[in-house]
Amino acid sequence: MIGFLAKRLLWMALTLWVVFTVSFFLMRAVPGGPFSEERKIDPYALEVFEARYNLDEPLPVQYWLELKRTVWHGDLGLSIRKVDYTVAEIIAEGLPISATLGIVAMAFALTLGITAGVVSSVRRGTVLDFSLMTVATVGIALPNFVVAGIAIVLVVFIWPIFPAAGWGGVQHVILPAFCLGAPYAAYIARLVRTGMLDVLGQDYIRTAYAKGLMPRRVIMRHAMKGAMLPVASFLGPAVAGILTGSLIIEQIFAIPGLAYNFVQAAVQRDYTVAMGLVLTYTTLLYTMNLLVDISYSYLDPRVKLE
Amino acid sequence: MSENILQVDELAVEFKTDDGIVKAVDGVSFALDRGETLGIVGESGSGKSVTNLAIMGLIPQPPGRVTAGRALLKGEDLLQMSTRQLTKVRGNRIAMIFQDPMTSLNPFLSIADQLTEVTRIHLKLSYEKSLTRAIEMLERVGIADPGRRVHDYPHQFSGGMRQRVMIAMALLCKPEVLIADEPTTALDVTIQAQILELMHELQETEGTAIILITHDLGVIASVCHRVGVMYAGKFVEKADVDGLYEHPQHPYTLGLMESIARLDEEATARLTPIVGQPPDLAHLPPGCAFRPRCPYAVDRCAAEEPPLADGPHGGQHACFVDVSTAERKEVVDG
Repeated sequence: MIGFLAKRLLWMALTLWVVFTVSFFLMRAVPGGPFSEERKIDPYALEVFEARYNLDEPLPVQYWLELKRTVWHGDLGLSIRKVDYTVAEIIAEGLPISATLGIVAMAFALTLGITAGVVSSVRRGTVLDFSLMTVATVGIALPNFVVAGIAIVLVVFIWPIFPAAGWGGVQHVILPAFCLGAPYAAYIARLVRTGMLDVLGQDYIRTAYAKGLMPRRVIMRHAMKGAMLPVASFLGPAVAGILTGSLIIEQIFAIPGLAYNFVQAAVQRDYTVAMGLVLTYTTLLYTMNLLVDISYSYLDPRVKLE
Repeated sequence: MSENILQVDELAVEFKTDDGIVKAVDGVSFALDRGETLGIVGESGSGKSVTNLAIMGLIPQPPGRVTAGRALLKGEDLLQMSTRQLTKVRGNRIAMIFQDPMTSLNPFLSIADQLTEVTRIHLKLSYEKSLTRAIEMLERVGIADPGRRVHDYPHQFSGGMRQRVMIAMALLCKPEVLIADEPTTALDVTIQAQILELMHELQETEGTAIILITHDLGVIASVCHRVGVMYAGKFVEKADVDGLYEHPQHPYTLGLMESIARLDEEATARLTPIVGQPPDLAHLPPGCAFRPRCPYAVDRCAAEEPPLADGPHGGQHACFVDVSTAERKEVVDG
């Protein structure tokens, strides 16, 4: 276990370095810079600004200086466009908001998805199964911004029970989390149904019935774990999807989270903020995938971590 | 000794398939006494497993359906029981061992989890007591170091060991009836003998009645008291094991015996297989289902179905012909 973790952390460091390098040069390759605006900036002021962020140095030197600052001092630097903000401060403000949104969306996707999948498989071939799976198919097919649009029309305008946008209270979390999680709930529902049907046809389920267990116990105790395996492997991509999905959802609902800042930073060529957020996302995704791998060995005793 | 435990009368089970309705079991009756072992032999698809799954209420419905019959466990009809009543019987008064020990244990739960839940549910034991009992049972079925092994998972056991675990699981509540559905088919020959010996020992000490389903006549001969031979969903011959082996009355039984190698025969003797394929249960021919493959068939077999009638070996058989005197013809395959 320790060896496994050490190995994975080493890989993570390597991954972060590759991501850093690729992002650095990609950002610089995009036309325009932090200070190219329609409004003319005083050439002297521009020189001062550029010197402050090392932008006057040749590219390899900039790369070296930024890598050294990030790795050696653990410092993501100052925001170029948000004056007086460090990148760390921007992350510290946005992360709790985005994490809340993401966790609620994920919890919603898992609860709804697993429940619908189990019900569907147990009531296979009934109207209930058919309706649930139809909704799930539609849910997978619709992109989250379409879901968001429809949801806003329905529960903000026609039947105003949720605020249209903003952040602050519980009422602000529910609608965006629903829109963010809905496609994943749908996908998980289908996965659980398929996994469950597969498991329910296994010999050991017949053994469980032959032992005199009630159907509910057979499903919850004997079938559930096996049916959850495909869901566990899907959680990695799902986390990635929820991270990227939040880029759109935070814009639609004007939520001041990481993704909102990320989009702003990309548009304004705020190199340091964009880099800081790319590294944050990489770390999050890598950690989640690591947790998924570990959870796998807990679900299935035949899997050994190495 | 002749205390009746299980009485099955005129059991019939149907399956709905794309090919029409299949009568997997059609009018099967038998009785089982305390401490007795009844062997049920037949080819794949002869209805031997379905008969016993029906008794346990384990026929998947749909597509399956029990259409007629009774299965009385000390007078109570298992086929009329609700799910809740059945769960009190299964694993407690009737237990079952399945053919493939590699897939019959849940790979996600430890042996301890899988054994303790049986006694916790049926005997309402505490976890500690049920664990002690599970360890005792594992020891009895010959698992070394059961106190430690009980916490292992199925994939850490070999096939023979898993079948021992299955037997331990089945016997935890001292059932009145043990149904063993081809318990040794998936195992090595040496392990087969050990498993049969183990079942026999447990029967001696507990007085459990056993239904042993198999297609292996050798297994039947070594452990059973009585034998029923099934063909196309029906018994075609029932007799004491000695009577059946010495004087098989049904051409199918005879065919089964001729198709296995015997140690007391000369090495040059040829095996005689049964010609043809098992019948398509959705489209059974009129008359005797075995007629197309039968070397003794006469005209009457195509028109009438022979009923089970008393035979000279003290049992019953369903055939119009006396195989000891009848003329044997060549059967053309197809």
